[in-house]
Amino acid sequence: MTRNRVKMAYIENETSRKATFRKRKGGIMKKALELSTLCDVPIAVIVQSEYNSVPEVFPPSRQAMGNVVARWDSLPLVDKTKKMMNQEQFIQQRITKATESCKKVAKENKELAMKEVMYDCLRGDTAPCDLGEDELRDLGGVIDQYIKGLNRRIQVLMRDHASSSTSVVPDADVATSVAMPTAEMGSSSNVKDFDLNQTQSE
Amino acid sequence: MVTKNKGRQKIEMVKMKNENNLQVTFSKRRSGLFKKASELCTLCGAEIVVIVFSPGRKVFSFGHPNVDVVIDRFLNINPHHRHQNNNLQLNEACLNAVVQDLNNHLTQVTEQLEEEKKRNEDLKQKRKDDKSENWWEDPIEGFNLRQLIEFKCGLENFKKTVTTEASKYLQVTGHNFYFGSSSNATFGIFDNDGNTNSELDLFNHRRLVDMNTFSGNHQNMIIPHPSTTPYGNNVIERFAPEHDQNQNQYCFKQERASECDHQPDHPPHCRHKYY
Repeated sequence: MTRNRVKMAYIENETSRKATFRKRKGGIMKKALELSTLCDVPIAVIVQSEYNSVPEVFPPSRQAMGNVVARWDSLPLVDKTKKMMNQEQFIQQRITKATESCKKVAKENKELAMKEVMYDCLRGDTAPCDLGEDELRDLGGVIDQYIKGLNRRIQVLMRDHASSSTSVVPDADVATSVAMPTAEMGSSSNVKDFDLNQTQSE
Repeated sequence: MVTKNKGRQKIEMVKMKNENNLQVTFSKRRSGLFKKASELCTLCGAEIVVIVFSPGRKVFSFGHPNVDVVIDRFLNINPHHRHQNNNLQLNEACLNAVVQDLNNHLTQVTEQLEEEKKRNEDLKQKRKDDKSENWWEDPIEGFNLRQLIEFKCGLENFKKTVTTEASKYLQVTGHNFYFGSSSNATFGIFDNDGNTNSELDLFNHRRLVDMNTFSGNHQNMIIPHPSTTPYGNNVIERFAPEHDQNQNQYCFKQERASECDHQPDHPPHCRHKYY
């Protein structure tokens, strides 16, 4: 839908600005109507521009507008100002939210990337000695997380096993049959040792 | 048609039936309406006020330059005279500059956010596409008990290797790590060759703490001396050997000031964050 991203700054070009104003003002009025209808709440919008000496408003009817404004007027100052914002505050709030979001996603990305590194090492494509200090630390964190997840799943399954009377936990078998890749220091791990016989489900 | 949200679907223009949905819709749409209003002001220089009552009897309002000015003008039905006097003009110009600054910053952060989101999608897609024969690369929800235990053992072994590798970087030559000051002492972390690193990275302290918790190797543990950390655990002063104690305080403040851009909306400490 967006042909070209509009720069969020005052539009110098007179014609563009006027056209943009007309379209966007219309859009705002429409959105106001939708919000008011869908959620059954009173709304008032007043727009003052260089293009019209009279302010353009929603709701369009004088009485409806009067009602909302009267309701606003009757509020104590505290209630009015609690959620009141101007441009500065509003944009600052948006910046804060966007920054938080960004940090969150960046963190997840880091974890995802490290997970790939972990798999690389386990496969034998990379070795820990190839990694830098920071990567090793992050890798350690990811491994810990993964182990935690595994523990959780183990507990769940143990619970299920315990509740079902027939099955038995094969702990003795497991201990002796583990043949996971152990990444030797200085050399890449030989993953061919990986025991793939344990794939049958119970 | 199965969709993630009601976004590209038509909805009836009547009051919503579901209470929860109504609340969520209100939240989102109110926020969107304010955003549109804000953009209209920025792009076209209009003055605007939006007043919204919530289903829960609260009131939200947005106004540019501010709610009161626009409402008063509307109620008094004054002839629309802008630029009443020079002071007003100056204030307006100042306000607009601040707003423009903020908008630029917002644009920048939004772009970053989109980049990270895209990267997120790419990474997730890559994992989906990478069909490998290794059963342990699949989601753990599909593992049976044996596989879970086996993989866990393997990972624990692997972690030991990683820890050992990591501890190689922690070669401090037996010196403890001093915060605190004395005009004769040299400060900073000694690197592998025993040289002083006076370019103290702000991140180093946190890294050391992390290494300590991460590494099981207690012989290499670095213990920061808590009582001589004037500014608390999260901050390292940049000490230069030739400065005495008083100067150190000054050095730190200076560093802080120079590292922080002059952005009135940013508290200085937000620059010194660990990733």
